[in-house]
Amino acid sequence: MNNIKKQIELLAPAGSFEALTAAIQAGADAVYFGVEQLNMRARAANTFATEDLPHIVQQCNQANSKAYLALNTVLYDHDIKLMRRIMDTAKRSGVHAIIVSDHAAMAYGKSINIPLHISTQANISNIETVEFFSVYADVMVLARELSLKQVAEITREIKRRKIIGPSGKPVRIEVFAHGALCMAISGKCYLSLHTQFASANRGACIQNCRRPYVVTDKEDGYEFEIDNEYIMSAKDLCTIDILDQVIASGVSVLKIEGRGRSADYVHITTRCYKEALESINKNQFTSEKIERWKNELSRVYNRSFWEGYYLGRKLGEWTDQSGSVATEKKIYIGRGTRYYPQRKVGEFLLEANTLTSGDTIMVIGKKEGVHQAKLHELRVNGKMAQKANKGDLVTFLWEPKIWEDDKLYKIIENKK
Amino acid sequence: MIKIIHYRRKCIGCGICFELQPEHWRLSRKDGKANLLEATEKKGIYLASSTAPQHLSLLIAKTCPGKAIKVVL
Repeated sequence: MNNIKKQIELLAPAGSFEALTAAIQAGADAVYFGVEQLNMRARAANTFATEDLPHIVQQCNQANSKAYLALNTVLYDHDIKLMRRIMDTAKRSGVHAIIVSDHAAMAYGKSINIPLHISTQANISNIETVEFFSVYADVMVLARELSLKQVAEITREIKRRKIIGPSGKPVRIEVFAHGALCMAISGKCYLSLHTQFASANRGACIQNCRRPYVVTDKEDGYEFEIDNEYIMSAKDLCTIDILDQVIASGVSVLKIEGRGRSADYVHITTRCYKEALESINKNQFTSEKIERWKNELSRVYNRSFWEGYYLGRKLGEWTDQSGSVATEKKIYIGRGTRYYPQRKVGEFLLEANTLTSGDTIMVIGKKEGVHQAKLHELRVNGKMAQKANKGDLVTFLWEPKIWEDDKLYKIIENKK
Repeated sequence: MIKIIHYRRKCIGCGICFELQPEHWRLSRKDGKANLLEATEKKGIYLASSTAPQHLSLLIAKTCPGKAIKVVL
């Protein structure tokens, strides 16, 4: 527990180009993403294609961030060719590592000499398994159900046994720091497949666990509501208040979950954890800062927070309501149409709702990422105005460049 | 006669269509997705006529996890 000052890699999710830019902008040391259907977000409408790999890597390289490709589903025989093609393209494109869980992917990755990370889907829970996988991988994501005591034991043993990966360097341990948790151990869930033929282990989870259930007495048909209605829906993991302890356990990489989340979610979570890591390194990890970060994290999608199993809890914490308890929500109101770089003025077409002076707005785009500010003054069709309505062309001062596909949102309080 | 429409882009290669209706489906070893046999293609959407039992085709459309299959009666 004496390694606090070492460099920790913050790994952020990228489910879209907007989220990718947001992650890099917020200070992610690395991003992970999936292409095609062999990743745990197979059904995402905006999933990347293999052809996107060079662009993603280029964007990461320019920011000195690493690009990790998730290829961590269960693989069937008919997937092998695609898996190999994706890995070959990833290698050619300069992807820094591939996150895998199937042994076929490990074997092929090793044969073409591309760095591998073992996914949490592999459920690594002890040092012997770490040693086993060290033949293939330099980074291993531990099972999310381990306590920090167990994590520390594993990292200590890696040093003591001098377990090295294919790169010749000691194996690095990654843990989940923030985001959704699954009711099933290491995500190995059959519920979705059982009810809808949508396999969670093929990236098609329909999240049955997030629904309320009743128990029926089969003898007389009485139905009992369970006190906590969402008995299978785990609260979201948040470790920001115990981050110093997480780091002290000897981990090297912190993962933020959320490839299905929006760019602003990625931006806020990455920024908070980056700031927290820097504060720990400077011995400025204070309760005031933790409070502020927790408020920030509560602004975006969350099912309320708990610290997971890290402090030794045997049972999970479950949500008591449906969906998110985020304190804020964003409403889509328009899209970028033009930018005047000399005056730093952005022009937007309002496609829904209204915009009023004093509103907090957010602009999300593929190139500029996420930017939020309070609107002090606006012009409608070139004239100063207090309010703009649907159909109006609105202009206002905006420092970052505006591109045509940028989206404009209004941020409002989320009243549940 | 019914029509089967396959939105191939949405396919995640689970194989349920092939398991239940092998006379109409194959799994591509090239890209891991399902191929609708004897189909005509337009802009990545595949269309085929079928005399197979309706209930089976409807079941496949319902169970497809990628919602990539539609049946027109």
